[in-house]
Amino acid sequence: MNVSFFFEVLIGGLLAGVMYSLVALGFVLIYKASGVFNFAQGAMVFLAALTFVSLLERGVNFWLALGVTLAVMVVLGMAIERVVLRPLVNQPPITLFMATIGLTFVLEGLSQAVWGSQPHGLELGIADVPMQWLADSTGMFISQFDLIASGVAAVLVAALALFFQYTRVGRALRAVADDHQAALAVGIPLKNIWAIVWAVAGFVALVAGMLWGARNGVQYALTFIALKALPVLILGGFESILGAIVGGLIIGASEKLAEVYLGPMVGGGIESWFAYVIALLFLLVRPQGLFGEKIIDRV
Amino acid sequence: MSREARIGETVLSVEKVSLSFGGVKALQDVSFDVREHEVRAIIGPNGAGKSSMLNVINGVYHPQQGTIRLRANGAWKEFSDMDSHEAAALGIARTFQNIALFKGMTVLDNIMTGRNLKMRASFLEQAIWIGRARREELKHRRAVEEIIDFMEIQHIRKTPVGRLPYGLQKRVELARALAAEPRLLLLDEPMAGMNMEEKQDMCRFVLDVNDQYGTTIVLIEHDMGVVMDISDRVVVLDYGRKIGDGTPEEIRGNQAVIDAYLGVAH
Amino acid sequence: MKAGIGSLDTFPKLLLHHARARGALPAIREKDLGIWQTWTWHEFADEVRALACGLAERGLKRGEHMALVGDNRPRIYAAMCAAQCLGAIPVPLYQDAAAAEMAFPIQNAEIAHALAEDQEQVDKLLEILPKCPTLEHIYYDDPRGLRYYAQPGLEAYDALLELGRAAWRRDPAFLEAEIEKGRGEDAAAMFFTSGTTGTPKGVVLTHHALIDRARAAAEMEGLSDRDVVLAYLPPAWIGQNIFSYAQPFVTGYCICCPESAETVMTDMREIGPTYYFAPPRVLEALLTQVSIRMEDAGAVKRWLYRKFMGVARRVGGMLLDGKRVSALDRLLYWLGDLLVYGPLRNVLGMSRVRVAYTAGEAIGPDLFKFYRSLGINLKQLYGSTETSVFVCVQPNGQVKPDTVGPAVPGVELKFTPERELLIRSPGLFKEYYKNPQATLEAKDQEGWFHTGDAGYFDPDGHLKIIDRVKDVGQLADGTLFAPKYLENKLKFFPYIQEAVAFGQGRDRVCAFINIDAEAVGNWAEKRNMPYSGYVDLASRDEVYELVRECVEQVNADLAQEPEIANSQIHRFLILHKVLDADDEELTRTRKVRRGFVAQKYATLVDALYAGKQSVHVEAQVKYEDGRTGTISADLRIHDAKTFRADAAKRAA
Repeated sequence: MNVSFFFEVLIGGLLAGVMYSLVALGFVLIYKASGVFNFAQGAMVFLAALTFVSLLERGVNFWLALGVTLAVMVVLGMAIERVVLRPLVNQPPITLFMATIGLTFVLEGLSQAVWGSQPHGLELGIADVPMQWLADSTGMFISQFDLIASGVAAVLVAALALFFQYTRVGRALRAVADDHQAALAVGIPLKNIWAIVWAVAGFVALVAGMLWGARNGVQYALTFIALKALPVLILGGFESILGAIVGGLIIGASEKLAEVYLGPMVGGGIESWFAYVIALLFLLVRPQGLFGEKIIDRV
Repeated sequence: MSREARIGETVLSVEKVSLSFGGVKALQDVSFDVREHEVRAIIGPNGAGKSSMLNVINGVYHPQQGTIRLRANGAWKEFSDMDSHEAAALGIARTFQNIALFKGMTVLDNIMTGRNLKMRASFLEQAIWIGRARREELKHRRAVEEIIDFMEIQHIRKTPVGRLPYGLQKRVELARALAAEPRLLLLDEPMAGMNMEEKQDMCRFVLDVNDQYGTTIVLIEHDMGVVMDISDRVVVLDYGRKIGDGTPEEIRGNQAVIDAYLGVAH
Repeated sequence: MKAGIGSLDTFPKLLLHHARARGALPAIREKDLGIWQTWTWHEFADEVRALACGLAERGLKRGEHMALVGDNRPRIYAAMCAAQCLGAIPVPLYQDAAAAEMAFPIQNAEIAHALAEDQEQVDKLLEILPKCPTLEHIYYDDPRGLRYYAQPGLEAYDALLELGRAAWRRDPAFLEAEIEKGRGEDAAAMFFTSGTTGTPKGVVLTHHALIDRARAAAEMEGLSDRDVVLAYLPPAWIGQNIFSYAQPFVTGYCICCPESAETVMTDMREIGPTYYFAPPRVLEALLTQVSIRMEDAGAVKRWLYRKFMGVARRVGGMLLDGKRVSALDRLLYWLGDLLVYGPLRNVLGMSRVRVAYTAGEAIGPDLFKFYRSLGINLKQLYGSTETSVFVCVQPNGQVKPDTVGPAVPGVELKFTPERELLIRSPGLFKEYYKNPQATLEAKDQEGWFHTGDAGYFDPDGHLKIIDRVKDVGQLADGTLFAPKYLENKLKFFPYIQEAVAFGQGRDRVCAFINIDAEAVGNWAEKRNMPYSGYVDLASRDEVYELVRECVEQVNADLAQEPEIANSQIHRFLILHKVLDADDEELTRTRKVRRGFVAQKYATLVDALYAGKQSVHVEAQVKYEDGRTGTISADLRIHDAKTFRADAAKRAA
């Protein structure tokens, strides 16, 4: 076996995995704070990317477009809290889940109604080409885009982790995630916290949308990357930021390796479904995920 | 200066409050007042309406009749439609009978959440952890450390609350309530489920809080014995009605109270 | 530097010396409000000065005593030195003692001034106040809960300090002069020994005694002002006083006071002391914690731990002693250090420990070796309150699990014909306070202190303590017979819960054994050996075999010690019932009542010595519900292999 090729595949997989983590992160944030599995996260990614690219295409300056899109996402997050979640407070999780499915269609429809449905290319100024110096020195072809995208994702994840750990709002977020009633009693305004969480999730969606959009083009199919986040969440657990990262890395790396080394045996095309096989196997062994809270049934 | 001399004017006044759920009358025409710096107990047999009373003061339930007035910053505030978050903002902190702590968070973080309302830095400042947010965090950390010292829980500072035994969790919950520097502290059966030694410890902490911080304390308890020693004045409820109000000595001699307690098998 | 030290003959003079010589270095730290607060030598000296002046204002005089009651706090130590500045004698009392226990020292020393740490201690002092009319001033450090106390003479430490600051500003020369008046031969402190029998005795130690011993040991171990100690044992105990007062005052190192008794483990991890003392029970408790955590760990961790602890047991101690070890073992140990020992030392807070001592009671060899195999330089020492601790210390590289090392420089040792250890040392106590009778009994005309301990020197000149001299006897041929020593050796095996050795005036030693039902039960379960209970286990051949191995191991050890090689255990039996305090076979503190047992089981003892192979017993037992019943059984008696003393010597 060619060692440098193996590492090339592995690293490529890990870098792709970081991108999965980014999407999964949006789910984790909302799940942690409100116990809702936000099916609309994919649609939010799509909306963010589409808004951003459409603004660019209309000649808006890059940073201004970024700012406006961010504002849109934050407002959207707050609006979702106000219009969708608040009226459904204290409803069973399945009701909230259904509401987010509805939200998915609304967001998809809305974004296409405003910006049209044709696919767009998104150019961030980072070439998706192998790094020559690395190829020369080690014989590995690693995409520059992958590397930068992972860097951005890593910084984002680290910043979020610190924010959660060391600030009042972060602590309040964790408190709300832990016990709504107790949070209210110590004077944490639940509504504001939810709005903040959705806004942050919107921000994460924007970053994910830009990176995925730049790679695959901004099109309706972008909503499907939410499905890719599912096995990551199963692996990493729904409540754990660390889990989202590790889960993403494992899924990314294993599906690429499987495609290259197992693919030829079954005629290729493994990459599109292998992640789900891993997730299924994992569900049997450790249903709470790698870093999820242990599920203890108390009688 | 003796303890009694510190007790000041009325800070909370409950007037003719009635509360019912459907047809069940939880409170009927209950009135009493709480004075500054005093330890005020509400006692009564199980189902007497004690918890309902506390939840009314705390804004969890809204009474159908009657008013509650709180003196805050020199002015009387009357409230009838207040939620618990607003009650907290007015300086009312509480503990729960069945401990409502954030189980997955450390003791330190739990107590820090108690200072949530005292922190002012904006969301953005916190997001980048600069200037005010940082100074503020450190200042509040110091205040919290003083409470940790006061409650003698240094050794569990970094322990997730879920791993602590029941008695310590009760102490952490009191610490979190204290962190808000409340003007009114509501304790919902602080000694429930404790053994005699833990109860004595808790009594000591309640008295120390009252001494050290001058906090006005309203506590409810169904076990008469414990509260009589630490309360300045006692309200007795039975079937949602007030049947006694006065100093512990007066309550001990009150026939209606004796009957109520004898009436239920203990 | 040494030349100058001659004039520094009291603790207050040493304090002023450090304030000048290393004023900016930390003297004492305390974790308060979650942060380590540091007092430099300069700040510490300032505090002591002000406090001393305050105490003088309140009437504390030369030669008077002052009680200190509290946990390790900078202020307790400051008060200790402040009293010494005035020529008064601090008397630290155990902070966990009951109020009644504090009455005697206060009455005995006619104490008028006391510093109490907090409300709890103040309450105790107030409780005994009617019995202690001399006690006029009670100062308290932590004012919490004391707001409404109206007792006259009750005063906050802070107020006393303020009073002293003002007095010092008025007349700084007063204190200088008082400190100058102090002499090395003055009493520096008084420690009350618990006194297992009768009333406690106040042991008076001079500045000279404490400073001399503190310095001798510090020089031997190369302690310097860069060392760090965690002060976590009661200040009223002489050892704590040596490690967290006398030695820092001699060397200038920093002591750290934990936040509370419950945080000691965490604080120790944070501080990383370089110099450490722990009695065997603390070391035992730490090991238990480690073992429990390892039980809960994942399979990989457990495997690593088992594997590498095996390596450590084999070569860890040798490496620490600087002995030759093969390159492969070195590599393995290095790997183990990376994966297991290093992290473990870190968890224990012992990553930086250079010198660790244990003393106070016999330490199990396995426990002792466990710490040494991790690379922690744990050593044993011998001493008592009367000797300012340091009599014997094991030097680096000459550490054995069952001796306490050779005499520390300056100490003379000898034995009476009855094998009682006598000590002459500059560190000896001056007297028992107001108890000339007891002083005379303990310290003879020539200045020898009679320890009451029996022992001997091993071939390397290390002192070995075997028992209290009153419990030591002789075999028929006149050789030493130390039953407790033998019993302890047996009890260090996990399978043996209790042992009773016989031999006084006999030609050889025989023993009763109680197996540890739980340990042997586990052992049996692992071998799929079904059993119904203690009596069943105790009669099994396999168990007899197991115990025989233990006994023979002890014999092999004994054979290496010429002095007591003859007291090897020739025959033993496993008792059919567990010795129990309810049956008066043990004292309430679980010590064997040897005489009673010998009498009660006389037939068994006779059978042991008559050479019988088994003996029938019927025994009355009391059940927990108060009923009595009888057990009858045929007990077997086994012989154990003994070893020739000279053969062992050749091998050694």
